[in-house]
Amino acid sequence: MASGYIVNRGALTLGIHYRNVCRTTTFTQIREKKRWMKSYAYTMERKRKIEGTPPPKPRSQKPNWDYHAEVQAFTCRLHENFSLELLKTAFVNPCYIESEQKRRQDLGMDSETIALVLKGNIELRSQGSDFTSSFLNDWCRASFPRLHSDGVAAVVAHLTCSTVVCHVARNLGIEDLTMSAEFPIPDDVLQSTLMAVIGALLESSGAERAGFFLRDFLATQLIGKDLFDMWTVVNPMGLLMEELAQKNMSAPEPRLIRSAGASTVLPLYFVGLYSDKKLLAQGPGDTVIAAEEEAARVALRDLYGFTENRRPSDFSTMKQQHEPVQYVASN
Amino acid sequence: MTSRGTPSRFLQSVLQNGVGRYVCQLKRISIIFSKNAQSSLGVREFIEEGVVDYAKTNPGTVVYVSPNTSRIPKIVAEYLNGNVREEEVTSKSSKQILELINTLTNQSGLDVIRLRKPFHTDSPSIQGQWHPFTNRAPSIGPIRPLP
Repeated sequence: MASGYIVNRGALTLGIHYRNVCRTTTFTQIREKKRWMKSYAYTMERKRKIEGTPPPKPRSQKPNWDYHAEVQAFTCRLHENFSLELLKTAFVNPCYIESEQKRRQDLGMDSETIALVLKGNIELRSQGSDFTSSFLNDWCRASFPRLHSDGVAAVVAHLTCSTVVCHVARNLGIEDLTMSAEFPIPDDVLQSTLMAVIGALLESSGAERAGFFLRDFLATQLIGKDLFDMWTVVNPMGLLMEELAQKNMSAPEPRLIRSAGASTVLPLYFVGLYSDKKLLAQGPGDTVIAAEEEAARVALRDLYGFTENRRPSDFSTMKQQHEPVQYVASN
Repeated sequence: MTSRGTPSRFLQSVLQNGVGRYVCQLKRISIIFSKNAQSSLGVREFIEEGVVDYAKTNPGTVVYVSPNTSRIPKIVAEYLNGNVREEEVTSKSSKQILELINTLTNQSGLDVIRLRKPFHTDSPSIQGQWHPFTNRAPSIGPIRPLP
């Protein structure tokens, strides 16, 4: 390789590889099995056991990171036109601004010479969360027109709760782009960042596009969920009686329809609810009371149109919604 | 190894991808290669010819090209759900590398392990799942073990 490589006689006799870096310096290289490697490896393992695994590092501190390119890719990936300035503002959290200012003060920089020209995302966040709750309310009412208003509120609260929102934010790649004081990013910071991103989308592209964004990413989290997982109803029978009274149907009468294994460890009872001698719903349970409650829940799901076998919500793309399908009649 | 000895998962998508809009799950791809070693010849050809076209057709993926003195050229793909996949491309041709990168682009980031079922549904039954009391007239009597 290098022309200055001189093979020493030692290479042939002792098996040591020299390279003369200059006349007075030699660089020795051991190409065989290294005797120190085993004890080094064991020492490092003991050190790792004492100190524990190293703390996770944010992606921006690992190699291969270009913030501007990442933000642009974020907009293209989601098929949205964000204004990049607004989006970059949306990712800056107030805790990050405070920690940065504190760090600059600690380093002794003048606050006048190197001012931190970063706006926080507080405004965008509040706009985003207001728009989110109003849009999700409207969407729920449109998709489930018969659902009780408490139910709608519970569904929207579930969709905007921090677990769901953080799950969505993590799987959209927002965690890498967020600027926050701590790492790993706490849930409330991540939630507010996603709301700020929605606010930025609202300002850049308008309410319709932001609505489609919310429908495609937040409303799809309803798929596969049961109504009463999200809405805790303590007394389903009472709620059912109110609903039937509103519709001018008579109060539900429970009747035991089926039973099996009454004297065993696993009894099964089916209770049916009848209104005007017509079956509303039937539900199973371990005891007769549990079966009656389950029957009331099944009846409520039927009334509100939130059954498992309902027609799925319309998530078709924007183009398909704007062009109504034209049917050609054929005889 | 057997199916019980190796990990397995159910068919799923990340964030119900495709129900609303389709989001390409590959967020960044890093091509690590050597400038002089012969094992990275294919990678160097790909970078000369194909990488710019690939980056233009996939604007949602950030492409990083980093030369270093490693003898083994790698492609590191990071997905939206946090998974990182490293593929070694020693002595591959430029075409093979392009095919590999297209495969990585079309994958979701979920683990490439055995799928227990090739289908998944959230509404398994339309008319109601059968249980022993379905369509059983009450006059027959209760379900009992045989005497």
